[in-house]
Amino acid sequence: MNPYLAVAALIGVVSVMLMLPIIPAMVELQRKSDATPLHVVPQNAGEIRHFADGFRTYLRALQPTLQQCMASGTAATGTMPDGAAYFVVGGANETPWFLLRQNSVCPFVIAAGGDLTVPDETTFANDVYSGGSFVGGEKNYYRALLGEKNVQLGPCSRVMRWAHAVGDFHASAGCQLYGRVSSDSVLRLDRNCSFLRLNAPRIVTGRAENGNFAPPDSNFSAEAFPIAPQRFLYDGDFVIGAGEVIRGNLVVRGKLRIAAGAKVCGSVKSGKDMVLETGVCVEGSLISGRKMRVGSACSVRGPVIAEREMFIAAGTQCGSLQNPTTASSPRIVVEEGVTVFGTLWARESGQVVGKG
Amino acid sequence: MIYVLYFIVLLICIYTARHYWFTLNRLFGFQRHPYIDIDTAEWPPVTVLVAAHNEEKVIANILSALMTVRYPEDKMLVIPVNDRSSDHTREIVDQFVTKFPGRICPFHRASGKAGKAAALKDAMELVETEIILIFDADYIPGAGLIRQLVAPFFDPEVGGVMGRVVPLNVGTNLLTRLLDLERSGGYQVDQQARMNLRLVPQHGGTVAGVRRSALREIGGWNENTLTEDTDLTYRLLLHGWKTAYQNRSECYEEVPETWAVRIKQIMRWAKGHNQALANYGWRLLVGKHRATLRERIDGTLLLGVYAMAPLTLLGWMLALVVFYQGIAPLHGVIALLSLTAYAALGNMAAFFEIAAAVRLDGTRTRICLLPFLIAGFAVSIFSVSRAAVSQIRDYATGAEFHWDKTERFRKASS
Repeated sequence: MNPYLAVAALIGVVSVMLMLPIIPAMVELQRKSDATPLHVVPQNAGEIRHFADGFRTYLRALQPTLQQCMASGTAATGTMPDGAAYFVVGGANETPWFLLRQNSVCPFVIAAGGDLTVPDETTFANDVYSGGSFVGGEKNYYRALLGEKNVQLGPCSRVMRWAHAVGDFHASAGCQLYGRVSSDSVLRLDRNCSFLRLNAPRIVTGRAENGNFAPPDSNFSAEAFPIAPQRFLYDGDFVIGAGEVIRGNLVVRGKLRIAAGAKVCGSVKSGKDMVLETGVCVEGSLISGRKMRVGSACSVRGPVIAEREMFIAAGTQCGSLQNPTTASSPRIVVEEGVTVFGTLWARESGQVVGKG
Repeated sequence: MIYVLYFIVLLICIYTARHYWFTLNRLFGFQRHPYIDIDTAEWPPVTVLVAAHNEEKVIANILSALMTVRYPEDKMLVIPVNDRSSDHTREIVDQFVTKFPGRICPFHRASGKAGKAAALKDAMELVETEIILIFDADYIPGAGLIRQLVAPFFDPEVGGVMGRVVPLNVGTNLLTRLLDLERSGGYQVDQQARMNLRLVPQHGGTVAGVRRSALREIGGWNENTLTEDTDLTYRLLLHGWKTAYQNRSECYEEVPETWAVRIKQIMRWAKGHNQALANYGWRLLVGKHRATLRERIDGTLLLGVYAMAPLTLLGWMLALVVFYQGIAPLHGVIALLSLTAYAALGNMAAFFEIAAAVRLDGTRTRICLLPFLIAGFAVSIFSVSRAAVSQIRDYATGAEFHWDKTERFRKASS
């Protein structure tokens, strides 16, 4: 082979190989097919009622039908503007559930102007709306559920996306609540319920007669949240003795144990595991870099955060009606008899268990 | 000479390993977002400082956005820090003050030392709250951003908070698209990995917050630095405060649209970073303070990122000299390492990082632009090296540093 040709061929081949990755780059530069800013929802404030509000807006088109059915006590069917089939319930007693279910699956958007009671062992493949109170049967599946008054889920029911009650929300034993569940009043979860994200002015676990619930009024001082007092920093493990009172923020890089009856007038952080024994009071926030175990009858005013997992024993109160707060961890186990005022958020799994 | 080359190769290998470690952590490791779920709380009073020097094109946008955020109105005060502006920034700010009485308290600075840190330092006389948030005027905060940036301060160990910066003018030209990729890698992978691994997330000086008591403890804003954010990060660290990074607290920014502006910007960053390296590097690595061992190592490496550019250039030159002298260092092992380190710009680790970031962001086709990043890196490496040389020259001649404001490209809002 001609050596000049060989050199030219080599240069040509190398040039082509170098240019290969440039070709899609040039095409993308010209076409700008993916040149929009990364999507950041500017109005997203993490509002838990976002879906409930959206569903109300969606149902506006049904308002005349809902009022008509309410007035006449009749039912109506049809399709929503997006093509979803709906069933408007006029009177609770006349609802022909046997017609609406196909192999226990109800495919309609269900909307009731007033109270609504649904049968057992039914899968609601579309969203359910109740203009009054809602009572669900046992072992039901709900895609999403909105009640303008109280909502009661039967035992072992599941909510797959979200549920919201303007009044009280009560999940009976063994319910599984995926996604967001909220109430504008009280949210009660019985034993063996699982949950992810809950929000209400008052969240209680277990039945009232079994629990030692915190009062809705505040146990904490009337002063503003103590976010800026003196800071104490310890590099190793640390123990706050029984009945001791600490005034200031406490940061412990190791493990932390707060013995029974101690009080911290400030926030507490541990880099590793944290244990609160019975009757501890923290006037600020409680943050653990790993696991956290909150003993019985404790009260914490500020956010309660554990980066790995959290256990909260009966009788403990997080926040108050005047000072709502957030308790959050990837995995949360809560005994019956716990009250959280505000948000209880388990990223991976949350479970209500019996006392002891 | 050969030992200098060995040392440079070693450094490049360390940075390469670090890039891989961060990227793999983001792809497969435990992700820390401990404060992002705090959506209900007794929110503390907060002051939002908006640094503005000749910002008539953008100041109205950020003030409008701040007036609509979801934070208790009686607990948030916005202070536009109008730093010696000669355009219409003052008039625009005053219009907002009239429109939103009691919610905006302007700080008009007519004289004084140049620079953002100096302006913020002077504005502190108006700040009464424990939590301070800082924005540059070209940013547009979303409704939930203030809460998200305040939430980490419930942790008493947190002294500073940093959110994620997202370019808004991505599609303008090649430069903005490359900067979009760089920002993606820097925040989505680099910053979040440092947060995950409990290393040293960097305070960016905007979309950021600082605790007033921590700021007071470390001596306030340092007006003698070109990058007050880097300076703040390290002084907080040396005093036992953490900086928390919130990857999901995103805020739009405007990135430079011309290479000249970009070069000025990166040169300022490089000088400021090198300044912090000189001031805190040795003390951080071996001094007596509260930083952990991993924070000491990562913090020093982070301080050294801009010093690596001139070192890499020096390494290229030394490699050529060694090659033409016919030396085969360490029986070829170093040559092999040099090849991978130099020929592939750190074994492609930075590219891997950006590719992973783009994937995590859920975008797709923009990854095709990755080969063009070599051009971006080439510009950066020479600009940063030039900055280092001029910094050494300024130090030798005793010249005072000059603060360059980044030019804005947005059209003024009506």
